Amino acid sequence: MSNVLSLNGVCKRFGGVVVADQITLDLKAGEILGLIGPNGAGKTSLFNLISGVFPADSGSIALQGRPLSRLPLYARARAGVARTWQHMRLFGSMSVLENLLVAPTDYPGESLWRLVTAGVSVRRAEQQARERAMHILERMKLSAIAGANVNDITFGQQKLVGLARALMSQGPLLLLDEPMAGVEGAAYETMRQIVREEAAAGRAVCVVEHNVSFIRDLCNSAVFMAQGRILERGDVATLLESKTLAELYFGQ
Amino acid sequence: MEYVASLLVLIGLYVILASSFNLIIGFGGLISIAHPIFFALGAYTVGVLSTQFGLHPVLSIVAGFVVAMLASFMLSLPSLRISGDYLLITSIGFQLGLLEIIKNLDFVGGASGLGGIPNVVQQHRSLVFAAVALGLAVAVVLGLRALVRGPYGRAIQAMRDDELAFVALGRNAMNIKITIFAVGSGLAGVAGGLYAYYYQYLTPDQFQILQSAMILTMVVVGGMGSVYGPVVGAVLLLLLPEAITFLNLPSSVMGPLQGLIFTSLVILFLFLRPQGLVPSSKRLSAGGGHE
Repeated sequence: MSNVLSLNGVCKRFGGVVVADQITLDLKAGEILGLIGPNGAGKTSLFNLISGVFPADSGSIALQGRPLSRLPLYARARAGVARTWQHMRLFGSMSVLENLLVAPTDYPGESLWRLVTAGVSVRRAEQQARERAMHILERMKLSAIAGANVNDITFGQQKLVGLARALMSQGPLLLLDEPMAGVEGAAYETMRQIVREEAAAGRAVCVVEHNVSFIRDLCNSAVFMAQGRILERGDVATLLESKTLAELYFGQ
Repeated sequence: MEYVASLLVLIGLYVILASSFNLIIGFGGLISIAHPIFFALGAYTVGVLSTQFGLHPVLSIVAGFVVAMLASFMLSLPSLRISGDYLLITSIGFQLGLLEIIKNLDFVGGASGLGGIPNVVQQHRSLVFAAVALGLAVAVVLGLRALVRGPYGRAIQAMRDDELAFVALGRNAMNIKITIFAVGSGLAGVAGGLYAYYYQYLTPDQFQILQSAMILTMVVVGGMGSVYGPVVGAVLLLLLPEAITFLNLPSSVMGPLQGLIFTSLVILFLFLRPQGLVPSSKRLSAGGGHE
C-alpha cells in the first residue's frame, strides 16, 4: 500500500533547541501509529511541522506523494491534513455544531465575492456541511448537545468536539494530539471507537498519547521519540518493553 | 425643516461610516483608525470626477467605492501580513501621509480645498440627500446584519476566537481580513461620495485624526461588534453636540467642548460599560443556528 504521509530527514531548531532532528517516517492508509516519548521529545512539534504551524528547516514532507513543505498552514489542511490540539482550541463563543461548521468541506463563503455571486451554492454547501456535522456528532453521541456552547459541556465532550471538528475534513491524514488526556468513562470508549472506525475507513492516523493502554489497544505500531529524534520504531508491545524507553521515561 | 434634513443627512453618513468601521474593528478585530482616509478618498474621487470630467453622480460614487476599496489593499496587504498591532501604527501613518499628499496636489485643490462640486439635486435638496443617505444607511446596516449572521460571520467569529485553530481547518484568515477591510473601506468611500455631493466643498482637514476619534467613539459607545450599536452611537454623538448648540455658547468654547465630550464619553464607557450601549450577542444565531 502506498504511503499517505512520508517525512524524509525533517529538521527544525529554535535557536539552540532541536525539536526535530532528521525525522524520517512514513504512514500508510488504515494505519494507527502511536507517537510516544517524554515531555519535550518533540512530538507536538512534529505535528506542527506536518500541519504547517511552522516550516521545517530542511527535509521533505509529502502527503500521498504531494510535497507539503512549501504550503502554508491553511493549504495543508485543504490538502488533507486534519489535526486536533492538546488544548483543544475550540471556538469558545460558539455552539458545538457551529464549531464543526467552521470547518466546511468545500469552503463556501471563503471569499465575500463568492458569497454575493453564488448565494445558492453557498446555501447548498451550508446544508451539506450541516448534514455532515450532525452525522459526525451522532456517531460521537453528541447530537443532543449540538446547540450547547462549547464552554458549557464536560471536558470529555470538549475533547470529542475537537476530534469531531477535525473529522469534518475528508483528508487522508489525521493527527491526534493527546486525545485521551483527562478523558475517561463513556467519552474514552467513544474516542477509541471513532479512531478505530476512521482508520478502518482508510485514514492514516498518528496519535501522540501518554496513556499507554490506549496506545496498546489501538496502535498497529509506535515510534519512540526523545530530544527531537526517533529512537525506535516497532510494534507496540516490543517498544513498550524496551529498556531505553523505560530509562528515558522514568529517568533511570 | 432644512436644519432637520441636514442633520438627517449627517446621521445617514455617519451610520454608514460607523457601521462599516465596526465591520473592520468590531467584527474583524482589525485595529485600524484610518477610516476617515477612505471616507476622504471616496469624497475626493467624486470631487475630481464630477468637477473635471462631469461624470454621472451614481457612477462617480461607485468610483469612490472602488478607489477606497483599492486603497485599502495598500494598507492591508503589507500590514496584515506582519501582525495585528502593526496595522494600528501603519494606519495612522497611512492616513496622515495620504492627507499630506492631498494637501500638496494641485488638481485636488491642495490645502485650500476642492470646491465647485456640482449641485446634482435642484429641488428639496436636503430632503433628497437625507432620503438617499438614510436609505443607504439602512441598506448597509441590513447588509452587514445578513453578512455577520451567515456562514461568513461564523467564520469571522471563529477567526477571532482562535485564529490558529481556524487556519488549521483550512480557512484562509488573511483573505478574510483583507476582504473585510476592503468592504468596510469601500463603504466609507460611498459615504465620502455622498458627502462631497452634499457639501460641494472638501478640505483635507475634515479627514484628520479628530474624525477618526469621532467614528471610533461612535462605535465604542454604541457597542463594538454589535450590528445596531454603531447606529445608536452615531445618532447619539451627532445629536449631543447639536443639543449643546442650543445653550448658545460662544464658538471658542464649542470646539474644545466637543472634543472634551467625545474623550470623556470614551473614558466613561471604558470604565462603566465597555460593551457599549448595545452589547453584541455572544453569537447572533444562538443555539447552534438551526434553520
